[in-house]
Amino acid sequence: MSDMISSFFTPSFVALVIRVGTPLLFASMSAYVASLAGIPNIAVEGIMLFGALFGVYFSAISGSAWIGLLGVLAVGVVLALVLAFFTMKMKADPIMIGIALNLFATDFSVWLLLVWTGSKGTTANLPSKVLPTVNIPFIENIPIIGTIISGHYFLTYVCIVMAILLAILVYKTPFGLHMQACGLDEHAADSVGIKVNRVRLIAVIMSGIFAALGGAYLSMGYLSIFSNNMTASRGWIGIAAQAVGGGNFLIVTLTTGVFAIAQGIVSKLALTSLPSDLINTIPYVCVLIGLIGLSVKEYRKRRAR
Amino acid sequence: MSDTILKLEDITKIYPNGTVANRNINIELRKGEIHSIVGENGAGKSTLMKIIFAIEKQTSGKIYYKGQEINYQGSMEAIENGIGMVHQHFMLIPSFTVAQNIVLGAEPSKSAFIDMKEAVRRTQELAHKYNFDIDVTQKVGSLTVSEKQKVEILKTLYRNAEVIILDEPTAVLTPQETEALFEQLEKFKETGHTIVFISHKLNEVMQISDRITVIRNGETKGTYAAADITMDKLTELIIGAKLEDSYDEFKHPVKDAKMLLDVQHLKYSEHGVGKVNDVSFSIRGGEILGIAGVQGNGQEQLIKAITGLLPFQDGVVKVDGTEIQGMNIAQKRDAGMSYIPEDRMVDGTAPGASIRDNLISTYYQKPKYAGKIFTKDGVIREESKMLIDRFSVKTQSEKEKVSALSGGNIQKVVVAREWNTQPKLMIAEQPTRGIDIGSAAYIHHQLIDMRNNGAAVLLVSADLNEVLKLSDRLIVMYEGEIVAHFASLKGVTESQLGLYMLGVEHQSEKEIREASYDD
Repeated sequence: MSDMISSFFTPSFVALVIRVGTPLLFASMSAYVASLAGIPNIAVEGIMLFGALFGVYFSAISGSAWIGLLGVLAVGVVLALVLAFFTMKMKADPIMIGIALNLFATDFSVWLLLVWTGSKGTTANLPSKVLPTVNIPFIENIPIIGTIISGHYFLTYVCIVMAILLAILVYKTPFGLHMQACGLDEHAADSVGIKVNRVRLIAVIMSGIFAALGGAYLSMGYLSIFSNNMTASRGWIGIAAQAVGGGNFLIVTLTTGVFAIAQGIVSKLALTSLPSDLINTIPYVCVLIGLIGLSVKEYRKRRAR
Repeated sequence: MSDTILKLEDITKIYPNGTVANRNINIELRKGEIHSIVGENGAGKSTLMKIIFAIEKQTSGKIYYKGQEINYQGSMEAIENGIGMVHQHFMLIPSFTVAQNIVLGAEPSKSAFIDMKEAVRRTQELAHKYNFDIDVTQKVGSLTVSEKQKVEILKTLYRNAEVIILDEPTAVLTPQETEALFEQLEKFKETGHTIVFISHKLNEVMQISDRITVIRNGETKGTYAAADITMDKLTELIIGAKLEDSYDEFKHPVKDAKMLLDVQHLKYSEHGVGKVNDVSFSIRGGEILGIAGVQGNGQEQLIKAITGLLPFQDGVVKVDGTEIQGMNIAQKRDAGMSYIPEDRMVDGTAPGASIRDNLISTYYQKPKYAGKIFTKDGVIREESKMLIDRFSVKTQSEKEKVSALSGGNIQKVVVAREWNTQPKLMIAEQPTRGIDIGSAAYIHHQLIDMRNNGAAVLLVSADLNEVLKLSDRLIVMYEGEIVAHFASLKGVTESQLGLYMLGVEHQSEKEIREASYDD
């Protein structure tokens, strides 16, 4: 057992956390950017699922992982446009549209799976491609740091770069301020000439792309196949991280980190004789604790007023 | 001084549903003047402002700005050309700083990034230039209402507004804040700004304006220099009829009146700060007791303690001899209490529900309206029609949503409902705030009617004029205490009350004790 505990303090565990944390951070960013602009996107889970499935499909029919990735981006944009069309143009409740997209994704992905492979389980018989693993020259040879930083899947680095760019966009540019304004008070934003719908459309498209990339990571790197419901609620974990952090991207990211550590612990403990169903609940228990903590904080704040 | 900056020529606005909001409006604004536009709610002031600000398009007529005909496609274009508007509901984002709010939509930037330092510098300089003592790096959420209003004005100045439209700016301000705003507006005249001041508080309009344009039923009833017109004349123009100066002739003495409200040694404090300090008074049936005072001197907490919305720490409140502490709202209403709350949209009505539902919402469970399982729709329909008719609520149907009504009509719904419970004690909190003069007068008559029928009325109002006109007796509150009691209002003047309201004067304890009856 002490072996087990000490193994949590090794470079390889940190690397594991980064590996399992990547799709969570994509999901968090997806939920964050949409909600920041005022269109809560709870379809993160569904879009991830489609991203994972189409990444496999497009790479299999094209024979190229990169074309597969382009397909993933397109799927993300299309689903974002669906969300944007119904919520902004048709004035539907974004939560309703989110639920619809999630339900649609769950079942439609299985149907597509059946059509394309003849099986309801996985795409194991499709010749799909995976995105490369990146070994960073020089750094890969440095002990400890090399293990932590180098040797991750391509999309992990994409994810980190996008997170940095997103933070800059939100906090340092006029567009970021406009997104925040649209989310906080659309009438105020409108009254100073901000084109609320345009800002929101761009934010929702970004949200769709992040979610789809999160899905692609799962089926085009982390694993090399798509399997039924493979997102396993990672999208919802991202939404929970967004709920904890609200408009504060740093807190959203840190919360995602905590969830990622919980996920990493699960992966480790899965190798032990502990009941796996119980262990699998750890990340979700973390989410629950996070959300309870948040509401306690909010409650205190309101009482102090 | 006399250069025309903005001219409206024969502006007519007819909405697609046929409602005529403006008919042949002609107004001419001069550079560097304060020009008030007055009229009842629904007279067409707001629509006119929306047309100037290009939120709405006129059906016919022309607008000239700086001598040229304009035809703006949206408010953005109006802003760019120097027309600014401070909306009645602030367009501010609480979690942004003052500087962020001011520059939003027109941020100073360095290449692709916001130059926040420059934004802070510019806004601080702007605030300084116009004597707004404000730290632009603080969050707007922590500001007071009047500071928020200043931020809104700075927003228009940041965009180089030359014409600033202020929509009911004093509705949210205390008298002192209003004074400060007026001083500021006077300064804008010197810097060549033109102020359009929309209000229905006539004494303020008389005080601040250079010229006044009256609008009634969507038509201009003339533009007058403020110096050349009397308040009476102005009132007459606005409502098209003369209003009573006093309601004395409508009041009838009520015989054998019992004491219906008795409040003794009431104390309420919030976080250790005393808000209501040992307040005692009583009211007999057939009497209107007014409470005057600058807002925030405990009136609100006093009313909430009496109605039971706040738990008071010490003291006794009796309605018709029954102590009401510990009773729930329904029991208090059964004891004869009735309440017109200050905020008609939050506490007074359910805006999304129908007029019919709102008219019965405080007594729908009574056997007359409800059986064991179902409500008696027929009875309720007849009753709401009767109330709508009696209180002349302007609506097509009792099924219409309350939120579709004008402020005055919403308040009539509240008063009608409370009247219909035949209360022993009517507590009216700011009963006519923000509604037009015609509806206000109507509501005043209803309150007097209840008084004449033997009810005790407790009236709290920030409008001194209203308190003086309606009350039989009056108390003044200052810092949570009663500082004066007038058993009769004969000869009491506003300035006299003002001294008590500001805490300059204080009656003797013996005089104040007379606010309570002994029986």
